Amino acid sequence: MQHVTSAAPATALTAPAGRRSPLFRRRRRATVVPWYVPYLMLAPGAIALGAAVVFPFAYLVAISFQQFRARELIQDLPTVWVGLANYRYIVAKPEFWTVLSRTLIFAGVNVALTIGIGMGLALLLQRLGGRMRLALSISMVLAWSIPPVSATQIWQWLFDRDFGVVNWVLTSVGLRGFTQHSWLSDPTSLLGLATVIVVWGALPFVALVLYAGLSQVPDDLYEAARVDGANAWATFRQVSLPLIAPIVLVLALLSTIWDFRVFTQIFVLQKSGGISEDTNLIGIWSYHQSFGGSPNYGRGAATAFIGVVILLMITAVVVRRMVRIGDES
Amino acid sequence: MKKQNVVVGVVAVALALVAAACGNASTAGAPKADTGPLTVWLMNGSAPDPVISALKTEFEAAHPGVTVNVQLQQWGGITDKTNAALSTQSPPDVLEMGNTLVSGFASAGGLADLTGKQASLGSDTWLQSLKEAGTLDGKLYGVPYYAGDRVVIYNKDLFAKAGITAPPTTRDELMTDGKLLMAANKSVPGFSALYLPGKDWYAIFSWVFDSLGGIATKSGSKWQGTMEDPATQAALSWVKDMRSAVGTAAGDGLETTDDPTFEAGKAAMVIEAGWHYGVIAKDKPALKDQLGVFPIPGASQAAPVFLGGSNLGIAAKSKHQGLAYDYIKLLAGSKYQTQLAVQGGVIPNTTTLLNLHASDPVLSVADKAAARSWFVPNSPNWAAVESNNILQDMLAKIFTGKASVADATKAADQALADKLNQ
Repeated sequence: MQHVTSAAPATALTAPAGRRSPLFRRRRRATVVPWYVPYLMLAPGAIALGAAVVFPFAYLVAISFQQFRARELIQDLPTVWVGLANYRYIVAKPEFWTVLSRTLIFAGVNVALTIGIGMGLALLLQRLGGRMRLALSISMVLAWSIPPVSATQIWQWLFDRDFGVVNWVLTSVGLRGFTQHSWLSDPTSLLGLATVIVVWGALPFVALVLYAGLSQVPDDLYEAARVDGANAWATFRQVSLPLIAPIVLVLALLSTIWDFRVFTQIFVLQKSGGISEDTNLIGIWSYHQSFGGSPNYGRGAATAFIGVVILLMITAVVVRRMVRIGDES
Repeated sequence: MKKQNVVVGVVAVALALVAAACGNASTAGAPKADTGPLTVWLMNGSAPDPVISALKTEFEAAHPGVTVNVQLQQWGGITDKTNAALSTQSPPDVLEMGNTLVSGFASAGGLADLTGKQASLGSDTWLQSLKEAGTLDGKLYGVPYYAGDRVVIYNKDLFAKAGITAPPTTRDELMTDGKLLMAANKSVPGFSALYLPGKDWYAIFSWVFDSLGGIATKSGSKWQGTMEDPATQAALSWVKDMRSAVGTAAGDGLETTDDPTFEAGKAAMVIEAGWHYGVIAKDKPALKDQLGVFPIPGASQAAPVFLGGSNLGIAAKSKHQGLAYDYIKLLAGSKYQTQLAVQGGVIPNTTTLLNLHASDPVLSVADKAAARSWFVPNSPNWAAVESNNILQDMLAKIFTGKASVADATKAADQALADKLNQ
């Protein structure tokens, strides 16, 4: 059973490689290919990755140990290595810990909601008739295609205190308390609205990928479950879920990374109301450290690197589970 | 072993190629005598296009062979963009900078020192506040370009219906008239006599400065916030009472909702830059003849206004310092300042041109109000205070009742000290 599933997503990846390598070996026996040819062929990719990922990251880590401000940048002054000073500055700030714990809670809630509701939508897609499924898929892709800045602005208008349609509807149905109710002035309310926007934005991708996973589950397995007398919940828990577990894990991993560094939604909402210091997440806080008016790139880099380390610690758990699933199959 | 060496070699060659590419790019703009081209960064919406085209034509005629390349910049994210541009080997030669940003760029070493040239640029009659904004530690880095301030825009019809015959001239009258307006418009849901969103700190601090409060002071090399000063606290308490007595704007709202609220007939007064008068008249032609303006009323006279605006600077790394100076001399000189004031409706950089708007009902009031003005602390780190929303957070906490005036001002003073002394 395990075998069937993990083969489904993996075929696409392994098949071409499997086909190519014996060919390659055969050719190598016929005309002697110099040993460095594979390295040469790897070089373009390696150089691109090095320039786009490795170098910037190494540079980021390097500046996080330096005093690097606008002054050093503009005047080409040599930057001074300051050891752990930037890190010490950050961890000594009480607001860093407040912001960090707020971010962890925010990300946790958002990931759980995204995966939970996404799974619900995927199951709905699986059961819908062709036409409704198409309609739902199209509307999700449309929602997905709206850039986060515009989407957040639109959500903010919906929830606007004076002109928003949400308050209008609520007061129209008799809930007088929502006359000029501000959805942003309370920090929990602002972060709640941000959660709605973030989850709404992530759902299309998550739901469609989960649906794709579900559609790979062979029908005879469902049939077998039905014959055994399993109800819908048992079928989901014991047939669907184990089979798409690797996909769920990958989505949870991606969502964790996305939701941990949420920026746009909070930034735009803060421009419309609320109290910034009570609603900052680590992404916003880090931005203010690096670029907020008087830039201190060293401190910003240190904040970013701390974020990477924390994300690594969280995702390591997920990655380990994924590796284990891979080994089992 | 041997293979590893070759791999290292390939990577080294690759890196060398990348480095060489960078090197070429950075030496591309080597000095070319003084034939330009001159790159000018102006902010979007600052000067009318015809003025800038006329200036380009005149400048290029006077400097044969030189091309002026004007690039309009957006305000969003301009600080980062400018910092990045100033660090390159071919930065923009002339830059327009928001007047609260000059000291930051100057202290980072991005701007040329223009102290020696200020007299020839007409510094004697510059608006004092703009000159101070362009000065850091006694040296001039930003030449005053133009200024703008805020006035109260009001609906004459609503005033008449409430039985008010003349606009208020003191803050007590503002309170009295505001209450009359509120009473006369009870039936309008969400009506505000004065619609003043809580985070509109540029407007609100006019009453703080009117009461001789302030934002921060410097003693020695240390900045100290002055939110906890009794004068500042008293002014903020007054604003809190006034806001709740004569309006319903959100305590954590921003001034972006001023125009729609006023246009919807849900506000009799808003505090805005003079050009909003034209925006409202255009959005809602029915209101056109009902609009009037007056200066923000203080305790006994018009309250000091925040003098916003822009300064012009020359990048320290510019290779066309002379041309840049000539360009600024023209743009900041009386010919183009007159055009800017007349066509663009801004306050010109010199007191000698303040009579240009005498017949304009809005700009004449705005010009007069500018005579008493306030400005933000002249610290290179000021931008950090703004970007971290320190004053806006303080006001929002006070006006939404999340914190007392005492607690909110205490937190703000700590944050101000933290940001200004970093």
